[in-house]
Amino acid sequence: MRLNPGTTATARHLWAIVGLCVVVLAAAFAIRSEYDEGVLVLVLLWATLSVAWNLLSGYSGLFSFGHAAFWGLGAYTVALGLVNFGLTPWLGIPLAAVVGGCAGALIGYPTFRLRGHYFALAMLAYPLAMLYVFEWLGYQEVPLPMERTAPILYMQFDDKRAYVVLALALLVAALLVSLWVETTRFGRALMAIKQNEPAAEAAGIDTWRWKMRAIVLSGALAAMAGGLYAVVLLVVTPDSVFGMLVSSQPLILSLFGGIGSLWGPVIGATVLVPLAEVLNAQLGDKIPGIQGVVYGVAIIAIILWAPEGVYWRVREKVTRSGLAGSEPRPRSAPVMALPQPRSGQGDLLVLRGVGISFGGLRALDDVGLSVQDGSLHGIIGPNGAGKTTLFNVINGFLRPQSGSIAFAGTSLLGLMPNRVCRCGIGRTFQVVRAFARMTVVENVIVGAYIGARDDRVAEQMALAALDRVGIADRADSMAGGLTTRELRLMELARALVPQPRLLLLDETLAGLGHEDLDSILSVIRRLRDEGMTVLIIEHTMQAMVRLVDRFTVLDHGRVIASGAPAEVVRDRRVIEAYLGRRWTDRVSETAAGDI
Amino acid sequence: MPFSLLDFMQALAAGIMVGGAYALMCIGLGIIFGAMRVVNFAQGDFMMLGMYVAFYLTTGFGVLAFLGPYAGPIVGAFLAGPAVFAIGWVLHRFLVSRVTGTGVTQAEGAGGYAQILVTLGLALIFQNGGLILFGSAPTGIRTPLSRASFEIGSVLLNEAKAVSFVVAVVLVAAVYLFLTHTRHGKGLRAAADNSTAAIYMGIDVDRAHRIAWSLGVGITAVAGGLLASTQSFQPYVGFDFVIVMYAGVVLGGLGSILGAFWGGLLIGIVQQLSTLVLPYQLQNTAIFVVFLLIVFLRPQGLFGRLSERT
Amino acid sequence: MKTALVAALGTAISTVALGLVPALAQTPAQPAKDVKVALIAPLSGPWARQGQLMQMGADMAIDEINQKGGIKALGGAKMKLVVADAGDTTEKAKNAAERLLSQEPDLIGGTGAWLSSFTLAVTEVTERAQLPWLTLSYSDAITDRGFKYVFQTSPTADHMAREMIPTVIKLAESAGAKRPQTMGIVMDNTAANVSYVKPMHEGWLDQYGLKLVVDQVYTPPLSDATPLIQKVRSARPDFLLLLSSNVPDDKMLLEKLDEFGLGTRKLPTIGSGTHMGTPELLKVTDAEMLEGLLTGASDWGLKGQEDIIARFRQRTGEPWINQDSITAYGDMWILKEAVERVGAADRVKIGDELHKIDITEGPAAVAYPGPVKFDDKGRRVDAPLIIVQWQKGQAVSVFPTDRALAKAFWPAQ
Repeated sequence: MRLNPGTTATARHLWAIVGLCVVVLAAAFAIRSEYDEGVLVLVLLWATLSVAWNLLSGYSGLFSFGHAAFWGLGAYTVALGLVNFGLTPWLGIPLAAVVGGCAGALIGYPTFRLRGHYFALAMLAYPLAMLYVFEWLGYQEVPLPMERTAPILYMQFDDKRAYVVLALALLVAALLVSLWVETTRFGRALMAIKQNEPAAEAAGIDTWRWKMRAIVLSGALAAMAGGLYAVVLLVVTPDSVFGMLVSSQPLILSLFGGIGSLWGPVIGATVLVPLAEVLNAQLGDKIPGIQGVVYGVAIIAIILWAPEGVYWRVREKVTRSGLAGSEPRPRSAPVMALPQPRSGQGDLLVLRGVGISFGGLRALDDVGLSVQDGSLHGIIGPNGAGKTTLFNVINGFLRPQSGSIAFAGTSLLGLMPNRVCRCGIGRTFQVVRAFARMTVVENVIVGAYIGARDDRVAEQMALAALDRVGIADRADSMAGGLTTRELRLMELARALVPQPRLLLLDETLAGLGHEDLDSILSVIRRLRDEGMTVLIIEHTMQAMVRLVDRFTVLDHGRVIASGAPAEVVRDRRVIEAYLGRRWTDRVSETAAGDI
Repeated sequence: MPFSLLDFMQALAAGIMVGGAYALMCIGLGIIFGAMRVVNFAQGDFMMLGMYVAFYLTTGFGVLAFLGPYAGPIVGAFLAGPAVFAIGWVLHRFLVSRVTGTGVTQAEGAGGYAQILVTLGLALIFQNGGLILFGSAPTGIRTPLSRASFEIGSVLLNEAKAVSFVVAVVLVAAVYLFLTHTRHGKGLRAAADNSTAAIYMGIDVDRAHRIAWSLGVGITAVAGGLLASTQSFQPYVGFDFVIVMYAGVVLGGLGSILGAFWGGLLIGIVQQLSTLVLPYQLQNTAIFVVFLLIVFLRPQGLFGRLSERT
Repeated sequence: MKTALVAALGTAISTVALGLVPALAQTPAQPAKDVKVALIAPLSGPWARQGQLMQMGADMAIDEINQKGGIKALGGAKMKLVVADAGDTTEKAKNAAERLLSQEPDLIGGTGAWLSSFTLAVTEVTERAQLPWLTLSYSDAITDRGFKYVFQTSPTADHMAREMIPTVIKLAESAGAKRPQTMGIVMDNTAANVSYVKPMHEGWLDQYGLKLVVDQVYTPPLSDATPLIQKVRSARPDFLLLLSSNVPDDKMLLEKLDEFGLGTRKLPTIGSGTHMGTPELLKVTDAEMLEGLLTGASDWGLKGQEDIIARFRQRTGEPWINQDSITAYGDMWILKEAVERVGAADRVKIGDELHKIDITEGPAAVAYPGPVKFDDKGRRVDAPLIIVQWQKGQAVSVFPTDRALAKAFWPAQ
C-alpha cells in the first residue's frame, strides 16, 4: 500500500474501478451460458468478501480466520428475514450490513485485546461456535422460498445478469470503501498498527478505535456479500456459510492476489474461483479428488513464487525494470520551528512509589524517579531489572498497582499510550520494524497524525524530524536499504515527529559499533542541547557514562542508586549488582581526562 | 442437579480418555507452534495420514497381523509416528522451510503469509490425495478392545481408549524427556524461545525447526493411529480436529509443550462434562466458549509465558 | 431371469401400445439421438462413497436399457448418463447443476444429490430449467416448495417414523416378547432426523402407550458416545431409536452400547438411513455386534430383484445392494419409462408425464417397493418404509413382508 499516493494514484484506482465495471458488464452480456454467469457472480461475491477481509486483516496485519462469522450472519439474516418475516432481500441485505457491523463491534471489543496468533485463533472460534448454535436452533436447512407473484420484489430474477449487476455493485462499494481507507489516515493508522502496534500507540494513534472501525466496516461488507450469496444459492446451511472453507477463502484469495493491496483480493478471486470451478468441472468426475490436489499444488506453487501475492510480485518486477517511475519529489527545506531551548527548571517527570507485580513477580517495587527538564537521564541495571517495564508503565502500556507518575504536573496514571504521547512523550522501541519497501519519510510519518491536520503538514513534520536526526538526505530512499545506524536514527525520528518534550529511548545504542555509537550519541546530545529531555535505557556503560547528566540504577525492580554518573559508578551497591571493578577504574580515568 | 454422580463420573472418565487423545495431538501441534510459530492448517491431515498408516499396517496389508488383535493396533499406531516423521522431514526440507524459519524476513509484519497458504495447500492435497489413494468408504481398525471396558465401581472405562490413554501418557513422558534431557531437545526449546539468540549460541535453528516439524507431525500421527482403533475415519476427518487442537494448545499456553498436554486433556474433559449441563449439541460450542474465555482472561494459557518480545 | 424377460417384454409391449396412441398424433419417431439423463451426487469430499454407490446403480441401469435396445419410442435411441460431482459444499452442488444444464441442453431428467441440502440447491436450478428431477432425500422441505418438476421417491422422514414404530411393536409382540412401553431416542440434528422425530415430540407416541424416557440430540461428528449412552443406561428403555447419519458415528454409538451391555440383543436398536446397513459398517464393527440391528430406508434389495442384485454384485463386487444404488437404478428406468410414454425427449412433457405415471411392471416397478406414482406435490404415493435387518453379517430387507428377502426377528433375548 502506498502511503499518501496523492490524487493521481487515487484517480488511477478510480479509473481502474470503472474499468472493472466495464469489463464485468461486457462479460456478463457476452456470456451466453447461465452456468458461466453463475460463476461470474460467485467470483464477484468472493472478491467482495476478500476485499472486506483485506480491509481489516490485510491493512492492519490482524489476521482474521473467522470472517465466515459475518458472511454467515449476513446469509442467515437475509434467509430468515425472508422465511420468517417475508422481508425482501432488498431490505434484508442492508439489514445484514447492520448485523455484520454490530457483530464486528461485538467481536472486536473483546478480541482486540489479543495480538498476533492469539487474535487469529480466537477469530477462528467464532464462526464455528455459531455453526453449532445455528444447527442447535434448527436452522440446518433454510431454503429461500420461490416467490412466484412478484419475484423481482424479492430479488428473484430469471436473468442471471441481474445478479451480476448486484454483485458488482457490492464489490464496487467494497472497493470504494477500501480505497477511501487506503488514501486517508485511516489506512495509515492501520499500516502503523501492522508495522508495530505498540509503537503506533506510543506515537499517538488510538489503535483500539481504528481497529474497531476497521472491523465494523469489514463485518458490514462481508455480511452484505453473505446476504447476496444466500439469495443466489437459495439454500442456507450452517456449514455452507459458517464453515472453515468459507473462513479460509478470503485468506487464500487475498494472499494469492496480493495482501494489503486494493486489487489483490480481486485478482485472487478472478483467478482462483474460476480455476477451482474448472477443475471441478473437468476433473471432478474423472478422478474424484484430483481437483483438490491440483488446486492445492497451484496455491503452493504460486505462493512460493510470490510470497505476498501476485500483485506485489508483479509490481516488484515492473518497478525493477524501470517501467513504473517513482519520481522523487523535490523537497523544500523544512520550515518547522524547533521548540525553544528550555531553561532547565524543575522536574519534568516525577515518579513516586511506583510498583507493579505480575503474578508472583514484583517487577517494580517502590520506584521513585525525578527527571529534570532539559536533562539527559540514564536508567541502567542488570538484565531483568525492570527497565523496560518502567518505560511501559510511564508510557501507559502497563498500569502500576501503586504510586504516582506526574508529567509537567499532570498525572499520567490510567492514560492510554496514545494519550500519553499527546501529552508530549515520545518513545523508541528496541526492535525496529521498518517497512522495507517504503521510503524513510513514509515510515516515519505515522508520528505526525496527532499534530497535523493534513498530509502536507504531516510530511513537513516528518521531514523536520528526519533533519533533526541528520538523515534528511535519505528521506526518499527505501527503508530496506538503510544501515543499522540509519535505521536507529529513523526510529528516533519517528518518535520525534510529534515534537515531544520528553523522549524515552529504549536501548537505542544496543549492538552498535564504535563509530555508529559516537554518531548516534552526538545526535542525542544535540537533541538535549536543543532543549529535549531524554530518558534513556542502555547497557553500553562507557557511552552512558559520558552521555548522561544523571543515572538511576535499577536492580530487581528497585532503585538502588541515583545521582551523577561519577558517584553512581562508585556506589558499592551498584558495583555489586552490575558493574565490575574494571568499570570503576575506567570511569575515574575518563572523568579525570574530561576535565 | 439433573444428573447423578454416576453420570458425572462417567462423563469425567470419558473426558479424560478423549482428552488423552487430544493431548497427544496437541503436543504435536504445540511443538510446531512453539518452535516455529507456524499455524499448521494441515495438522489434522497429518493425523489422518497416521490413521491410514496404522490401518494399512494392521488390517490393510496385515503386516502386523502376527501380533494379534490386541498388540497389533498399538504397534501400528507407534509405527505411524516414524512413517509420518519421515514424510514431514521431506516436506519440511523441500517445501515448508522455504516459507518458515529464520530465512524468511520478518519485515512489514509479514512472514506469516506464505506459511498459511502452504499449509492450507498441503491440507487440500492430503485430503483429496487421500480420497484418491484410500477411497471414500469409512474404515477403521477392528479390535475387540473397543467394545470392552474395565469396570471401576459402576464406571465403565473403555479398554481401547484406556490403552490409548496409557500409551499417550508414556509418549508424552518420552517427549518431555527428549526436550529436557537431550541436546536436540534443548536446542529445539532454545530455538522456540528465542531463535536469534539460539543462532548466536551455535544452535542450528533450521535443523531444530525441521526436527520440531517432523516430530510434531509424527506425534500427531501416532495420536491418529491410536484413534484408528476407537473410531472409523475417512480422508476428510482431519478438519474435525483442527479447532480442538488449537483450542488445546492455546489453553495450555503457546510455547509450552507440557501446557499443550494439559490443554488437550482439559478440552476433552470440558467437552464431555459440558454434556451434563448443556444440550449435547452445544458440546463443541462449550469448547469454543472456554477457549475464548481463556484467550481473554489469561492469554498466556495455563503454562505459557506472559509476554512476547515487542 | 425368465421373470425379467417376461417383465421386460410386457413393459415393451405395453409401452408400445401406450406410446402408439400419442405417437399416432405425432411426427414419426426421431432419429436415434442419445437421450441424456443426469446424475448429480457427491463424488469427492466426505460423502463420496454415497455418490459412488448411486453411480454404480445408475450405470448398471443405463447399460441394461441400452443392451435391451434403448428407447423404443425413439427408434432405439440410447440413454446416456451425464455425471457431475456435487462435491462437499452446497455451492459446488449448485454449480454442478448449473454446469450440467448449461453444457447439456438436451437433458431430459436426472437424479441426485443425496444430501438433502445439496438436493435443495440442485432442485432450485432444475426447477427453473423445468428439468424433471428424482431424489431419494427424505427431507420434506424438498417437496414443500410448490415445485412442479421435483419428484421424491422416498417416503418423507416423518412418514417413515409413523410406519416404523407400530411395525417394531408388532414385531416384538409376534416374537412373544413383552409389548414395549418405553422408548429412547439418541439422534443427531441433521434435517432428516429432526423431521423423523417431530411427531414423537408432539404426543404421537401416546396412542401406542409409549413413553419417551431418554431423548438426546448431538451434533455430528461425535467425539465420544459415553455421556449419551450413559443416559440410555440410566433410563433403560425397552428399545432405542438410534438416528445417526454416517458410519463413523454409527460405529461409536453401537460399540459404546455394546460396551455398556446394551447391545442390540439386550436393547433392540433401530436406526434410520442406509448408512446403518452398509458393508463398510460391517468392516469396522463385526457381524456379531450388528446381529439383529434394524434400520429403515426407502429402498433396498427386495423380492423380485434377485437378478438385479446378482448382476449388481457381479459388476461391482459389493456384497449387497443398498438404497443408494437401487434407487438410482430405479430412477433411470422410471425416466426411460416416461420417455417411452411421451415418445419424445421433451423435458416438460416428461415432467407432466411423471405426474400422471403409474408404473406397475418392469424394472422400475421392481426396483421400487410400492407404487411408482407421484402426487401433485411430487411425493411418491404410498411409498412404504423398507425395514432392513442385519442377519448373519448381511443387511437384508425384512419389511414389508410381501417384498422382503428375509424374515425379521426380534433381537432381544
